Formats: sequence, structure tokens, C-alpha cells
Amino acid sequence: MRLCGAAITIETLIAHNVSDVFGYPGGQVLNIYDELYKRSDKIRHILSCHEQGAAHAADGYARSAGIPGVVIATSGPGATNLVTGIATAYLDSSPLIAITGNVSSTLIGKDSFQEVDIAGITMPVTKHNYIVKRVEDLEDVLCEAFQIAVSGRPGPVLIDITKDAQTGETEFRGGLPKPAFAAASPKADAIRAAAALIEKSEKPYIYCGGGVIASGAGALLADFANKIDAPVGFSMMGLSAMDYKNPRKLGMTGMHGTYPAIKMNEQADLIIAVGVRFSDRATGNKEAYQKNTKIVHIDVDDAEINKNINCDVDIVGNLNVSLSELIKAVKECKHGDWNGLAEQFKREVTFAEGFNPRSIIREVRKHTDADTIIATDVGQHQMWTAQYYEFSNPRTFLTSGGLGTMGFGMGAAIGASIAHGGARTVLFTGDGSFHMNLNEFATAVRYNLPIVVIVMNNNVLGMVRQWQTLFYEKRYSQTEMDRVTDYVKLAEAFGGTGYKAETLDELQKSLEAAFASDAPVIIDCVIGRDEMVLPMIPAGGSYAEAIYSL
Amino acid sequence: MEIQNFTLSIIVTNKAGVLSRVIGLFSKRGYNIDTLYVGPKVEDPRHSRIIMTSSGDDATREQIIKQLRKIFDVQEVKLI
Ligand SMILES: Cc1ncc(C[n+]2csc(CCOP(=O)(O)OP(=O)(O)O)c2C)c(N)n1
Ligand SMILES: [Mg+2]
Repeated sequence: MRLCGAAITIETLIAHNVSDVFGYPGGQVLNIYDELYKRSDKIRHILSCHEQGAAHAADGYARSAGIPGVVIATSGPGATNLVTGIATAYLDSSPLIAITGNVSSTLIGKDSFQEVDIAGITMPVTKHNYIVKRVEDLEDVLCEAFQIAVSGRPGPVLIDITKDAQTGETEFRGGLPKPAFAAASPKADAIRAAAALIEKSEKPYIYCGGGVIASGAGALLADFANKIDAPVGFSMMGLSAMDYKNPRKLGMTGMHGTYPAIKMNEQADLIIAVGVRFSDRATGNKEAYQKNTKIVHIDVDDAEINKNINCDVDIVGNLNVSLSELIKAVKECKHGDWNGLAEQFKREVTFAEGFNPRSIIREVRKHTDADTIIATDVGQHQMWTAQYYEFSNPRTFLTSGGLGTMGFGMGAAIGASIAHGGARTVLFTGDGSFHMNLNEFATAVRYNLPIVVIVMNNNVLGMVRQWQTLFYEKRYSQTEMDRVTDYVKLAEAFGGTGYKAETLDELQKSLEAAFASDAPVIIDCVIGRDEMVLPMIPAGGSYAEAIYSL
Repeated sequence: MEIQNFTLSIIVTNKAGVLSRVIGLFSKRGYNIDTLYVGPKVEDPRHSRIIMTSSGDDATREQIIKQLRKIFDVQEVKLI
């Protein structure tokens, strides 16, 4: 069958079971949008307010569903508006497929209208990218793009298609998916060496990261923890890999980790890190982190081994295979006292009463269930959500970890809701972050998505201000916004509903109304500007330097 | 942690942008390029060979090789 490039693009997406794409039209993708129009029975397009929102939505779609998310944008400003979204996906290893149009191949390099070298711009923040100038190359490139995005450690791939490659015709061969590239098999001697270290350890500690979620290895990780009788701490990206009801779960480690996780991590004589990259936010001071402990590093990406932290044993391969083999190889262990210590740390934590970040999150949790997808923006509210929300199921926590992108949440919540057939989704955002991409609330209204937006409104850029409080002698340079935005009116202006809550009672009533409604809701939760995120390990500090109270 | 010079032979697919990818990796991750040579692989016109000298300690050298191997258009990386 002979088809034009634009049709090949859409047919290849359909052949890859893509049912929804996010994007924004423009001159250099007119042909692609024309084909979308013709195939709207097979593939739905979600129109955002800004390409950044569309990119975050496609990313949220991918993270929540575990399949690639697709975003389409026009050349020039459309393409550059994607960049933050692509970089966000890259830093968190999310399989995003970005398709951009570009000017005709004859106009490339002439500073033509809306011409940018988006492949050049995104080279450092994509797993791979392409410029397609010949329609004959297009089908193969698209199939390969999907293959690369999902193989091994997932990541974003951009395909820039010139106008003439969209209009030109060639034979279409069906656009069938290519199988993922095979991951390396874990080496038997590495498995044996890891098992030996584990059997010798008296204080083993499992450190679970986003890789466990990406590879669907959460259940295996729990089995592994049972067999070696070890507590489990989490990177922020890995938090939803294990049910909060599992007594082994200590919560998040690192800069704003929970007290039990920080304490156990600090005292471990063996850290078994699974699907993590030892981010500086997670390790703090690297020398101190690895000083009195052995480290086993298990990951699919060989380049992560000894990149940030030197390990004693590495196991490279698909986590499902590596964990299964390790479970088989290791003898059952018992660490009653060590796990008792974790229980003691958990009991030592106390919380303030009243209308505060934790009680807000706990109140929301009463209305959600184990499958409800939670998105956040970036700042204090994000850390509070990571610390206090009780996650049960993998892929229910969508947050920008590596890039820390304020403005991620609204798009991500939309993408997640779309991926799950218009499911209820909750966004915990801050007043600063929400102002970045709140335009997408209009998108949520347009597609009638039951998204509940909880604005943790401290009227400050709380996280930055916290650093100013602690390390800059309270010189609050540009972090006190003193905005007068009326979130109730804002929600109504966009066609949604808004509530304001200043007490737990008001919040509870607002939540009841919000969760009874099928439409998007904003709840403005007014909190104090001096609320802090604790514990805090100062940047570059060691776990021993963690601040637990002020 | 001693800094040493080393030479890499990198076989890449002959595709647009592949040299930028290799060089971009070095600037992105702060590695050194001391000398660089690029030419066709005579027996195989679909591939090119990059010969590069770089410097760094053992850990940096290992990272460079592993990061290069992750570039999709890089077929082979050898220390020579
Ligand atoms: C796009 C972007 N710009 C700047 C920052 C730096 N930054 C990190 S947290 C933060 C404050 C966020 O404020 P808000 O959304 O109100 O959250 P809060 O900390 O008050 O809960 C800022 C400015 C960022 N992470 N992302
Ligand atoms: Mg704020």
C-alpha cells in the first residue's frame, strides 16, 4: 500500500497500539493532523494548552501505564516548548515518543520560518533522536524509535520529520513493532558473590529505585526482602514499588527521607541497591555514604555501575532475571534484632496535629484507594507527599525526580487519567508550581477528567525559602510571592469547581464534594509559610548530619 | 586516581549527527578529548571509525567506554 509520510506516521502509531496522543498543531504538522482527523476512530488526540503540558501529559501517560506516551508538536516554538518535558522524561527514564514536524528538507539550514534544529537541541536529553528527510526512511525510524524507548532502561526518543517527508509517498509495510533489544544476562559469579555478601551481612538494607517499577519487579523485590529478612528503603522514584502495609517498607531515603529510612540506611553494613542510580539527593556525601558499608548494585544499565558510588559487587541485567536468580542463590536469613531496630525508629516518630501538610495528605488518602494515581509538582508539597502519602501499587506516584520540574504535575495528572480511561487522579501541587502550567486545568475541563488538584498554598516558594531560612539567614530573596490568586474563581473561570479549606473540617467537606463530582476540582488548602520539610540532610552532607527538628 | 592518557577506537554507523553525539557526550559529562580523527572504515562504507585520545583516571575511562556504548549509533568501542 502506498501512503504519504503523514499517514505512515499515524498508521505506525496505530500498529503500535497507540490509542491516545497528546499535542498541539501548527504549520509543519498540518499533514499529520490531517491524518489524525481521518483516523480519529482509531486514535484520539488530546489538545493541550501548551506543548510543555502535552509533553508532561504523554510522560504521565507512560509512567502510569508502563507503555510509551506520544506527543506531537510543530516546528520551531512548538518543538522548543517540548524540551523541558523531554528532559523531565529523560532524567526519570520514561518512554516518551516526541514527534515534531520541520520545514521541508530544501529549506533546512536557511533559518526558514519556524525552523530550529530540535534534534541538535534535544541530543543531550534523549535516549536517541532522528531527523527524517526521506519518506522511505520513516516507517523504519518510527518502529525503531519505539524499540529504543522501551528497551533496557527506558527513555525518550524524538523524531523530527520534514514537511516533504510527510507529503511524499512510499510503500507502507504495516508499521509492525520490533521486539525489544535483549538485556544482558546477569553473570553467575556476580550472583554468587552477592549471595555471599548477603549471607555474611548482619544489617542488610535494600534500597529500591524506579528501575523496580519500570521492570515490573515489585513483587520479586518483596520476595527477596522476605528471604533475606531485610528492611527496604526507597528512592523517590521507587516509592510506589511496595505496599505501605508491608512492614519492611521504611519509606523514602535521602535528603528528605523518613527518619527510619535514614537511620537504617546509615547503620547498614550492606546496601543492596536495586534499580537505582545513587542520585546525589539520595546519597548526600558520597564518601560518607559508602564508608562503613558494602554495596551490591543491581541494574539494567551497565553505565550506572560505579558512576556515582563504587560498589563491591554489580549485577547487570533485567531486574526480574537478576532478582529471581539471586533469590534462588541466597540462603534464607534471619535478622530479628535489626528489623526490631527499624520498628523502634518507626515508633519514635511523632507528628503535629491540626491543619498541616501531613494531615491534609492523610485526609485526602481517606478518599482515595490503592489504585488512585497521585501526581505532584516540585517543592515542599512534593516531599510531604513522598513522606506521608500511603502508596500501595506501582505506577501510582508520578513525580519529577531527576529534573525536579515545577509545572510537571498538571500535565502528568491529565496523562495518567487519560491512560486509565478517564480515571480519578489527584495532584498535590504548590502555589508556585501550579502557576507554571495551570493553563492545563482548562484541558482537564475540556476532556472532563475527574482530577482533584490540592494546592498546598503557603503563598511562598516554600522549598527555596526553606533553604533561605536554614542557610541564608532568612534573606527571602524572591520567594515570597504574595499573590492574590483566587483559586475558587480560577477554577470556575476555566469551567471547573473550586473550594477553599482552612481547617480539616472544611477540607473534609470539600473532598467529599470533589470526590462525588466527575469534573475537575481545585481545593485551595491554606497552610503556614513556615512549615518545613524535615528530616533534611543538607546538600552534600552525610546521613549523620541529618536535621530532624528545629 | 592517577590521570592517564588512552586511545579509543570507536566504530559508528554512518548516519547524520553521529559525530555530534559522540562529541556531545564528552562535553555533557565533562570528559576530555585530546585528539580526534574520523574517517571511513575502508572495508565497510556503512560505518566510520573514530580514533580518539582522551585522559582521565581509571573510573573516568571506564565511564567513557560504557557511556559511549549506550549511544545507539555506536557499534563498537575498543581501548587500543
Ligand atoms: C521549573 C523550575 N523552576 C525553578 C525550580 C526551583 N524550585 C524548586 S522548589 C521551588 C519552589 C516551589 O514552590 P511551590 O510550588 O509553591 O511549592 P512549595 O515548596 O511551596 O510547596 C522552586 C522555585 C524548579 N524546581 N523548577
Ligand atoms: Mg508554595
